Amino acid sequence: MEPLLHLDKVELYYDHVYALKGVSIDLNEGETVALIGANGAGKSSILRAITGLNPIHRGEVHFQGSRLDGTRASDIVKLGIVMVPEGRRVFPYMSVRDNLLMGAFTRDDKAAIKQSLDGVLHRFPRLKERYSQTAGTLSGGEQQMLVIGRALMAKPKLLLLDEPSLGIAPKLVQDIARSILAINRDEKVSVLLVEQNSRMALSISHRAYALATGNVVVAGQSKDLLKDERIKAAYLGGEI
Amino acid sequence: MEQIIANGLYLGAQYALIALGLTLIFALMNVLNFAHGQMYVLGGFVTYTIYAQLGMPFVAGLLASAVTLAVVGAIVEKFLFRPVIKRSLREESTMLLAAGIAFFLDAVILLAFGEKQRGVPKIIHGVLNWDFRIIMPYDRILIGALAIAVIATFILYMQYSKTGRAMRALAQDRVAAQLMGVDVNRYSMIGFALGAMLAGIVGGLLVTITGVNLGMGGPTSIKAFMMVMIGGAGVISGAIVGGFILGMMESIGLTVLSQYGDITYLVIFVTLMVFLSFRPQGLMGKPWG
Ligand SMILES: Nc1ncnc2c1ncn2[C@@H]1O[C@H](COP(=O)(O)OP(=O)(O)OP(=O)(O)O)[C@@H](O)[C@H]1O
Ligand SMILES: [Mg+2]
Repeated sequence: MEPLLHLDKVELYYDHVYALKGVSIDLNEGETVALIGANGAGKSSILRAITGLNPIHRGEVHFQGSRLDGTRASDIVKLGIVMVPEGRRVFPYMSVRDNLLMGAFTRDDKAAIKQSLDGVLHRFPRLKERYSQTAGTLSGGEQQMLVIGRALMAKPKLLLLDEPSLGIAPKLVQDIARSILAINRDEKVSVLLVEQNSRMALSISHRAYALATGNVVVAGQSKDLLKDERIKAAYLGGEI
Repeated sequence: MEQIIANGLYLGAQYALIALGLTLIFALMNVLNFAHGQMYVLGGFVTYTIYAQLGMPFVAGLLASAVTLAVVGAIVEKFLFRPVIKRSLREESTMLLAAGIAFFLDAVILLAFGEKQRGVPKIIHGVLNWDFRIIMPYDRILIGALAIAVIATFILYMQYSKTGRAMRALAQDRVAAQLMGVDVNRYSMIGFALGAMLAGIVGGLLVTITGVNLGMGGPTSIKAFMMVMIGGAGVISGAIVGGFILGMMESIGLTVLSQYGDITYLVIFVTLMVFLSFRPQGLMGKPWG
């Protein structure tokens, strides 16, 4: 079967930084795939290449069999790829409600949007309690729920998450991890998960790629990588 | 006292509307539109042409001002600011561009409408006299009410329409807005057109009271900047508060200070400088809210 998402030898550089040096990645429909790696390895750059936030310089990106690179960021959302960027980035002076409605920006069917809204509020009851509150005043964990909820409002086929556990209380990291699992299982959303918390990422994903300085260095089933000596030494050592 | 407040409200509503347009453009694009005053003047001349020259209804003139300036704003964004913002890494580039557009519009206005002061026939006659406490011509009351209605409509539009929400999102976090599917180019253009349109509407409203002439552009821009600075750049509520504060200050100045000579603006500028040295972000300084 053809993968949902396919990156073929993607190269990307910023002014003088060679960030991706020919990265090839596959993600099948229904999968959760993790990208792990140290700071500056190129994880976020992969997501930015997929969403069109940064143009790629060589290689190709395919989604559902058609060419994706070169498409504008705002049009890529319409195809069903939605990214939750690093650092949460809520719309700080908007209410929780307006933030969520912004997630449904590309959709028109009011009844279906309402249904998604109910679904998100059911999944994250905290957001329901804070419904009219200004998003900038939420706690870090609540903001993370909000941006994930906001992304779900777009009814994505593929959800890209950039370090959802960053700067969040350990107890909430568990909650977020469970939510990601549930979103993948219940709503049949495929997930590409970038994480520095490699243990968490490997425990909720099917497969994973480990990156170092713009290259994929290890790839495999997540449960195998959890036991892999190289991965243990490089990525799992200090954590937990 | 009542007279001062009434005058202040009337002036403040016009000013707030001018400041709203300027602050919208600033919030969306980080562009200080030095040509805002010229856009206001152009709006005045369009209403003058339709209403006074061609003898059509005033409302037609006002609508024509709104549409003309919306089109001018859209063109200016698409063909001038967009390419400059894309290519240039320095903010001064857009400032210089805006100043250039201001001079250009001045030249166009001079060519098309001349340099004379132009006035239009009164839209309604009569004067309200409330026990000699408030004396105000009906046309001022009507123009003030229209301005307040436009402000209210604008706020509701920004708050509750999908387009308004998208513009607020864009102002608060450009990248996140893009990731929700907001087309930055399209919404910058809509925002610029809307901001210019507001300037044009005020021009069309005020031409019925003060008339219009070429020289009003620059001073109007400066007043608009002052209001935005008082309230806090890029904030809806700040623009409105700044507009009404400046309106009140002028109204007080004209009644109270004028006996000491023409010092109203001297006092206003000094007050503003002192205020800004204490609170440089303005009263409500924060990004778009
Ligand atoms: N806008 C930019 N301009 C210049 N260089 C950049 C830019 N963004 C990223 N880089 C560089 O590209 C490389 C890859 O960055 P990227 O953000 O993809 O890494 P990452 O794996 O997400 O790291 P982190 O874990 O710190 O988020 C790094 O060396 C980084 O310094
Ligand atoms: Mg990153």
